[in-house]
Amino acid sequence: MALTLSARSLVKRYGGVIALRDGSLDIQSGEVVALVGANGSGKSTLSKIITGAVVPNGGQLLLDGTPIQFPNPQAARKRGIAVVYQELSLIPDMTIAENIWLAHEPLRFGLAVHRGALRDRTKALLSLFAGTISPDLTPDTPVTALPPDERQVVEILKAISSDPRLIILDEATASLDTNQVNRLFELVKTWKAAGKAVIIITHRMEEIFRVADRATVLRSGESVGTVTLADTDEKTIVSMMIEGAITPEQIRIPTTALESHVRLDVKRLSGGRLHDVSFALHDGELLGLGGLQGQGQVDLLLALFGLIPHSGEMILNGKPVHFRHAADAMKQQVAYVPGDRGSEGLLLIRSILENMQLPSWSKYGAVHNRKAARKDALTSAADLQMVYASLDDPVSSLSGGNAQKVVIGKWLLRQPKLLLLGDPTKGVDVGAKGEFYALLRQLTEAGTAILFYSSDDSELLGLCSRVLVFHEGSIRAELSGENLTRANLVAASMGTAHERH
Amino acid sequence: MKARLSLTPPLIALILAVLLFFAGGLINPDFVNPAQATNIVRLAAFLGIIAAGQTLVIISGGEGIDLSVGAVVTMGAILTFRLTGGDNNLIWLGLLASCAAGIVIGVINGLGVALLRIPPLVMTLGMTGVVQGTILVLTQGEMIGATPSLMREWIANPLVLGIPGVIFIWAIVGIGMWILLERTTYGKRLFAIGVNRTVARFSGVRVQWIVVLTYMLSGLLAGFGGFILLGFSQTVFLQLGNNYLFPSIAAVVVGGTLLSGGKGSYWGTMSGALVLTLIDSLLRAAGLEQAYQLIVFGVILLLLIVVYGRQRSLRQ
Repeated sequence: MALTLSARSLVKRYGGVIALRDGSLDIQSGEVVALVGANGSGKSTLSKIITGAVVPNGGQLLLDGTPIQFPNPQAARKRGIAVVYQELSLIPDMTIAENIWLAHEPLRFGLAVHRGALRDRTKALLSLFAGTISPDLTPDTPVTALPPDERQVVEILKAISSDPRLIILDEATASLDTNQVNRLFELVKTWKAAGKAVIIITHRMEEIFRVADRATVLRSGESVGTVTLADTDEKTIVSMMIEGAITPEQIRIPTTALESHVRLDVKRLSGGRLHDVSFALHDGELLGLGGLQGQGQVDLLLALFGLIPHSGEMILNGKPVHFRHAADAMKQQVAYVPGDRGSEGLLLIRSILENMQLPSWSKYGAVHNRKAARKDALTSAADLQMVYASLDDPVSSLSGGNAQKVVIGKWLLRQPKLLLLGDPTKGVDVGAKGEFYALLRQLTEAGTAILFYSSDDSELLGLCSRVLVFHEGSIRAELSGENLTRANLVAASMGTAHERH
Repeated sequence: MKARLSLTPPLIALILAVLLFFAGGLINPDFVNPAQATNIVRLAAFLGIIAAGQTLVIISGGEGIDLSVGAVVTMGAILTFRLTGGDNNLIWLGLLASCAAGIVIGVINGLGVALLRIPPLVMTLGMTGVVQGTILVLTQGEMIGATPSLMREWIANPLVLGIPGVIFIWAIVGIGMWILLERTTYGKRLFAIGVNRTVARFSGVRVQWIVVLTYMLSGLLAGFGGFILLGFSQTVFLQLGNNYLFPSIAAVVVGGTLLSGGKGSYWGTMSGALVLTLIDSLLRAAGLEQAYQLIVFGVILLLLIVVYGRQRSLRQ
């Protein structure tokens, strides 16, 4: 059944804060529309109004030409609108099949759950992603047993299980690997051909150009325009999103670093998924770690920071070291910024000040000199151009980009010589990313050695002069100079044999 | 934006304490007078000192709770009673022994929880049995000894301006706890492990070490609490500290410390101790039979913990 949906000047206020000032969007069957905007631009609010998760304060939503307001998500789902969120809505202790069919189980005689049908239909859904997920997955596999990417796949299958007319993918690709993303986009094309409408929300510009027909851009809660992607480019969209944003290509860190002092020399390091990894890192160098997700890049950072047991040699600043705890690594001026802010980087209910000073309190005396601690944190926050009301506010009150600045700021306060970055720009908006790239440049110019893992290939290509590509726990290729191309990066990520230079 | 001076749980507890005090006047007009107020604070001080360690353990998170405080209080009191034998010159020995016993018990609790990963509830409940058994072995069931006269004078009796010594001791413990929680690296790390142990570890906090230290402090404060309590009770028996176990947990929770850890304060616990002591005193003033007093007090404690326990969801 065909669908047309129009959002006309939707407004949403939370107390005195306006989350959405003028949200407008048009979509119809057979179309893929990207909703683009920096964090806090209102795109989540707009999508939540469409799915019934949020009730607007003003404006109009027209479904198939008639005004409608969904009191709750169930009402939207009944009208054929399904959504896939990044934050997972699955119940860990239930099986894949139970999760997918929760609240709309296939029934026998309209009463009992038809377990046979449940299993068969789940198998059919799982086959959509065959080859990109573990072949051992069955409808009866409990969700707890799944890694994040496969949970996200189940989340997608759950959304399409009700055969919706409109599918909203809200940052649904963030935890998927390249193969899964490719498969998802093939599916989006078949949905489009079958007359479904798709709204995609993503931070990755490249994905927008791959699947969407049009992009609606939001800035500070307002729809600032809709462009047809065939006649526009990335720069135009970025400039619509935010004034003066910096892209990775504008930052590229110069290659001169290679003649400088060797900060870190790693020989035959193994631990976690890592197997026999060797490389050297120079002062002032930004060395990229690439490859598909979960190929050992994070394990390398964890091992170097003393967070997982490991074997092999690690020579830091000419001295062999073996860290058994993060505290050991910190004493040698090593710092690690984890990718998952919420569960690894921040104490959400504690204040900004406490989060920033957590690794450094001991330098403020047996009974802390609060004034000094506060002054240092204020300086660091100002250096990072952090936007906040008071250092005593809980860190959970900050936006994604500013929260990430707290995680980075807490380590910069210690002036590290070796900085380990684990996908630091994940879930950070374009504007904050630009500032972050500029910060990386400043740090390398000051001589900091940086090991930079990113799941965003364009960051590695744009920023780094050398990239180590991981595959199944080993370095599959070292790319630099003219070898550092997207084609080589993708080929090495997939495990294609490649000479190490 | 929220106002800076908002109604935090410790403040609510303090207001509740004041209201309860004046509510006492409705039951019995003699209830509201300075002497009675001093007496309430004096009684609350014993609970407050014993609940200090419990505050630390609950803030440490990981389902942290110390069920051995009652037994350790008893142990501290009995050691002091026996070792001093009523001799004022040996008070220092009693103080030292009760604190040392608390430290040893606390360290064992901490090692069991941190290294052997025994759930705190199981570990400290088991420890209660071990401590009570040890008391029986040491005393052979005979409570020989006496309370030094100076302890009564310094702790339970009016010391300066009609205020008993224990209230001064409580004030010092209060200031010490505030510095410990808000102004020391240990305090910051304690809150950190209470909120999220992965984040703490990734930030260089030696989580297990902090856990052991916290249970050690809880044992130390309970042992010290036992020593202080003897100055008031003047006598010892095997169940002396038991009556303080459940109230020590309730005082912490009523004071706004999250049972899930990572958020709380000692001045909250102090307010909580006042509230609980007042409820207990009001029940006495109401002239209920002792059995019914126990029932009503128990039910009120349960209700308070259920109501405050709902704040768990604040964590998300």
